[in-house]
Amino acid sequence: MTILRRTSHRHRLVLAGPAVALSLVLAACGGGGDDDKGTSAGAGSAPACKPSDGPVQLTFSTWVPGMEEVVKLWNADNPDIQVKVNSVPAGNAGTYQNFTNALKAGTAPDLGQVEYDSLPNFRLQEGLTDISGCPGIAEAEQKFVPWTWSQVDFNGSGGVYAIPQDTGPMALYYRKDIFDKLGLAAPTTWEEYAAAAKTIHDADPSQYITFFSQTDPNWYTGLYWQAGAQLFTNDGDAIGVDIEGNPAVEKVNDYWQGLIDDDLVAGNLQGFSEELYKAWNTGKVVSWVSAAWGYSTIRDNAPDTAGKWAVAPMPQWDAGGTAAGNWGGSSTAVLAGSDHPAEAAQFALWLNTDPEALALENKLGGLYPSSVDGLDIEALQQGVDFYGGQTIFDVFKQASAGVDPSFTWGPTMTDTYAALKDGIVGALSGNGTLDDATKDAQAKTVASLEAQSVPVAD
Amino acid sequence: MSTTTQAPTPPAPPAPTGSTKARRRSATAESPYSMAMAMTVLVIMAVYFLSPVYVLFSASTKSKAELAQSSLKPSTQFVDNLQQLFSEGDGIYSRWLLNSLLYAVGGAGIATLLAAMAGYALAKYQFRGRELIFNVVLGGVLMPATALALPLFLMFAKVNLTNTYWSVLLPSIVSPFGVYLSRVFAAASVPDELIEAGRLDGASEFRIFTGLATRLMAPALVTIFLFQFVVIWNNFFLPLIMLQDNKLYPVTLGLYSWQSQLSRVPTLQVAVIIGSLVSVVPLIITFLALQRFWRSGLAAGSLK
Amino acid sequence: MAQTIPIRTAEDPVLDDEGGGTGTRRRRRRTPGRGSTPASAPWLFLLPFGLPFLLFYVAPVAYALWRSLFKIERTGGIYGKPTEVFAGLDQYRLVFQNDDFISSVLRVLGFGLVQIPIMLLLALGLALLLDSTVARFKALFRISFFVPYAIPGVVGALIWGFIYSPGLSPIVDLLGKAGLEPEFLSARWILWSIANVVTWTYTGYNMLIIYSALQAIPQEIYEAAKMDGASNWRIARHVKIPSVAPALVLTGVFSIIGTLQLFTEPIVFSKIATTITTTYTPNMVVLSAGQNNYNYAAAISVTLALSTFVLSFAFLKITQRKAEM
Repeated sequence: MTILRRTSHRHRLVLAGPAVALSLVLAACGGGGDDDKGTSAGAGSAPACKPSDGPVQLTFSTWVPGMEEVVKLWNADNPDIQVKVNSVPAGNAGTYQNFTNALKAGTAPDLGQVEYDSLPNFRLQEGLTDISGCPGIAEAEQKFVPWTWSQVDFNGSGGVYAIPQDTGPMALYYRKDIFDKLGLAAPTTWEEYAAAAKTIHDADPSQYITFFSQTDPNWYTGLYWQAGAQLFTNDGDAIGVDIEGNPAVEKVNDYWQGLIDDDLVAGNLQGFSEELYKAWNTGKVVSWVSAAWGYSTIRDNAPDTAGKWAVAPMPQWDAGGTAAGNWGGSSTAVLAGSDHPAEAAQFALWLNTDPEALALENKLGGLYPSSVDGLDIEALQQGVDFYGGQTIFDVFKQASAGVDPSFTWGPTMTDTYAALKDGIVGALSGNGTLDDATKDAQAKTVASLEAQSVPVAD
Repeated sequence: MSTTTQAPTPPAPPAPTGSTKARRRSATAESPYSMAMAMTVLVIMAVYFLSPVYVLFSASTKSKAELAQSSLKPSTQFVDNLQQLFSEGDGIYSRWLLNSLLYAVGGAGIATLLAAMAGYALAKYQFRGRELIFNVVLGGVLMPATALALPLFLMFAKVNLTNTYWSVLLPSIVSPFGVYLSRVFAAASVPDELIEAGRLDGASEFRIFTGLATRLMAPALVTIFLFQFVVIWNNFFLPLIMLQDNKLYPVTLGLYSWQSQLSRVPTLQVAVIIGSLVSVVPLIITFLALQRFWRSGLAAGSLK
Repeated sequence: MAQTIPIRTAEDPVLDDEGGGTGTRRRRRRTPGRGSTPASAPWLFLLPFGLPFLLFYVAPVAYALWRSLFKIERTGGIYGKPTEVFAGLDQYRLVFQNDDFISSVLRVLGFGLVQIPIMLLLALGLALLLDSTVARFKALFRISFFVPYAIPGVVGALIWGFIYSPGLSPIVDLLGKAGLEPEFLSARWILWSIANVVTWTYTGYNMLIIYSALQAIPQEIYEAAKMDGASNWRIARHVKIPSVAPALVLTGVFSIIGTLQLFTEPIVFSKIATTITTTYTPNMVVLSAGQNNYNYAAAISVTLALSTFVLSFAFLKITQRKAEM
C-alpha cells in the first residue's frame, strides 16, 4: 500500500479500495453487459462535427517510438487541446484487441494508431468515427499521396475514417557489390530478377538472392498489390473476395512457386529473425524487396555490410512499368466514443502534415510520410551512408507514386493473413503450393465474413 | 500453542517386523559412491537449467553489432547496455520494475492468505458441497485466458477501473492453484489432533488457523507465495488487456511493447535483452530471501 | 496438553511392508468431532477467496459460456449495424467441424503423453535428491533448478530459439562437428523441441512443489526409519513417495491443464521455424478465431475447458483408485 500512496492517484485509490469489490459485484450481477452507448460510429454523409467549448484533453495510443516528443510540440502550441500519449505495443501484438475491448466498453482512447489493413476491421466493429464533417478534413485530401487517402475514405465510398500517417512503398534493396561482381545490373523486371537469382545461386550454392518469409503474409500481399491484384471488391451491397483464381494472384504465385521449387530462394529464414540478420551480415542473402521503413532494418542488423547495399525500383511485370507495392503503414484514427472528434481530427491532421512533426517522426520513429509535402522533408533528401551515399528516398518517392490507389483490404484481414501464412508454411515445407495457400485463404476469408454476417458477393 | 506441538518423544513406530535386509545397512554414513552419483546428476541438471541463462547473460554484454555475430563469449558492453536500458524512454524501465513489484508483492501476499484460508477449510472441515467447491475451483483455471479477457475487461470498465493499478492487482489476488496446493499441504501437515487440542483449549477456529495451522503450513505458504509472485511478475496478458497508460505497465509488458517495435527501431533490441535479464533479478532475490522458510517451516512443523 | 502427536506417522510403518503401499491403509483424515466445530467456520474461511474467485473467474466464464450461444447478424449492408442473436449450439457445431481445432487437440495430447511423465519423473527425482542426505550445496541447486521458471516464457522461448537455430547456435555447430545434423526446428522435431523448452521451464517448478511436500513429512518418521536401519532408497520408496503422492497428482493435473493451454512457446517458435501454423495448438486456435469472432472463440474455449476438465478428472480418478489399491 505504501507504494500506492505515493502515486498521484492517491486520493482515488485509497477511496476506491473498499468500494471496488462492491461495485464489481454489482457489475457482475449486471452481466458484464455490452451496451451500445458511445460506440456508434457516425454513418451517412458528413455527420456534424462541432468543436467543443473550452479546453479539452485527448488521449492518443500509438506504438511509434518517440511520439511523445512530437506531441510535446503540439501541446506547447495548443494549451486548450492537450494530448496525452499512450505508448503501447504494436497493433497485432495486442493493442488492437485492447482497442476492440475498450470500444465495446466505451473506454477507448480518442485517437488510435491503426494500420491500413486493419481499418476495414475497425469500421466493421463500428470503432471508427466518420470525421468528414470536421473542420479542415474536406480540404485535406490533396495533402496526401492519393492511394493513402483512398485507404481512409474507403475508395470514396462516403466518409473519412482516419488520417493517413505513414506508408511502406516497396523497392528492391540489393547488395550492389555482389551484383556487380557477378556482372548483374539491378533487375528491372521479375524475369531479370529470376535470372539473377539463378546466377547468384549457381555462383555460390550457399547464397540466395532473397528469402521467402512465412511470417510476413502482408509482405506477400504487397507483391499482389504491385501485380494489380484486387483481392477485395466492394460494390456497396456486398464484399467480393477474389483471391483464389485471381489472374494477378496466380501470376505472382507461379513466379515464386518456381523460385521455391528450383531452390532459388531461402525458404528457411523468417522475417526479422536473428538468423536472417546473420545471413544478411555474412552475404548469404543478397537482396530484399521491402518497404521504405526497411532501410533501418538492414542498416541496424547487418552492420558488417555497410556501404555495400543500394536501392532500386521494384522489379516490374511489364518492362518499363512503374508499379510498386506497399507493405505496412498506419493511419491515425478518431475512435468511436470520443467526446471531441473535431479537436481529435484537428490534431491528427497536424500530426501527419506539419513539416516539423513529420521530420521528428521520421527521425525518432522511422516513419515514411503519407503527406505529399512530407516526402520532401530534408532527411529524405540526403544520401544515406549505409547505402553508399545513395539518396535512396528518391526511389521510394517514385515508388509511392506507383502504388495502385484502388487496392482495398478485407474487413477480416487477420483471418485472411492467418490462412495465407499457414498455406505459405505448407508451400515452403513441401506440403502444398502457393496456389493451395490462396485457395485456403479464399475459403477462410469467406467463412469469417459470413460468420460476421457480412454479405459476400458470389 | 507451542506446547501443543511439543513432541519430545516421537511416537514409537510400530515394531519392525521382518525386513532384516534393511537393518544390515548403516543408515547414517553415506557411501562416497552414492554421494558422487547424486552430485553428478545434480551438476548435469544444473548445467542444463543454467546454460540458457548464460546465453541470455552473454547476449546482454554485447552491442547491437556484436549481437549479429552470435558468439557465446561475453563482451564488454554490459554497463553501457545497462545505462541504455535505464535511460530509454526517460527511464521508464525503473518505473516498470516498481510497478511489477507492487503488483507481485501485493497480489501474491493477499493471494497466499486467501488461498491458505480456503485450502485449510477444504482440508480440515467436512461439510456439504466440499468436493463440489473443490472441483469448481479446478474449473476456474481451465478456460484459456484469451477468452476471459473480454468479460473481465467489460466488468472493470463498468466501474471505471480499467487502466488503473486495481485492474491488474485485483484479479491477481485469486490463485486457484494456491488453494489446491494449500489444501494438499494442510491435509498433510496439520494433524487433526492438534486442532482438536486447540479446541479443547478454548481457542477459536480462526485463532487455531492463525496460531497453529499457518505455522505448520509455512513451507507450503512460502511456495504458494513464490509461485504466485512469479505468475504475476511474468503475466503480461492481463495488463496488456487492461492498461493503456504505459506508466502503469509491469516490466514484462514494457519489454514486450519494446520488442514489438523492433522492426522499426532495431536498436531497442539491446534494451530488450538486458531488460529481460534485469527483470529476473528481483525474482531471484525473492527466492533467496524466502528459501530459508523451507527449513524453518520444517522445524516449526516437527521439532518445536 | 502435552499429548504426543500420533500423526500419520503411525500409519506409515516404514518397515512393515513387503505388502507395499501401506501408507494409505487406514483412513487418513479423521474429521473433528461434529459438535465442536461451528458449521459456519469453513464458509467463513472460504469467503475471502470465494468472492474474488466468483468475480474474476466464475463470472467471466459464465459470460463466455453465455456469449458462445450467440451469433452476429448484420442489417444494412457491409458495414451495417451488427446485432447478436441467439443461435443455440450453432457455434459448437462449427467447433466440431473445425479440423484445425481437432488436430491441434490431438497434437497437444500426444505431446502431453510423452512430456508430462518425463518432466514429473525428473522433478520427483531431483526433489528426492535435494531432500536426501547424499546431496550437498542444496540451496545452490534448488535455485539453479528454479531459475528457468522465473524467466518470462517469451524470453525463455527466444533463448531456446537461438540455441536451436542452425545458422546461429554454437550448440548446433558443435553437434555438426561431431557428425550429427540435428534439425531442432524441422517439421519432425519441432514438437519435441518445444517439449524440451516446457520441461526446462517447469521441471524446477514441479520439483519445488514436491520438495515442499517432502518438507511437510514429519521428521519423526525418518528418525524411526533410520533407527530401524532403512536405507535411503527404501525410505524414499516406502515413505517419501507415498507421502508426496497427493502433490504428485496435483502437479499431474496442472501439467495436463498447462499442456492443453500450450501457447507461448509455439507462438515464439512460429516466428523462427517454418513449421508452425497459426492453429498449431488449441489455444492458438482460440486466439486466431477470437480476432474477428468472439462468440466462436468463446465456444472453442468452452469446448477446450470441458475436455481439459474431463481429462483432469479422469486422471484424478485413476490415481485415486491406484492409491486405494
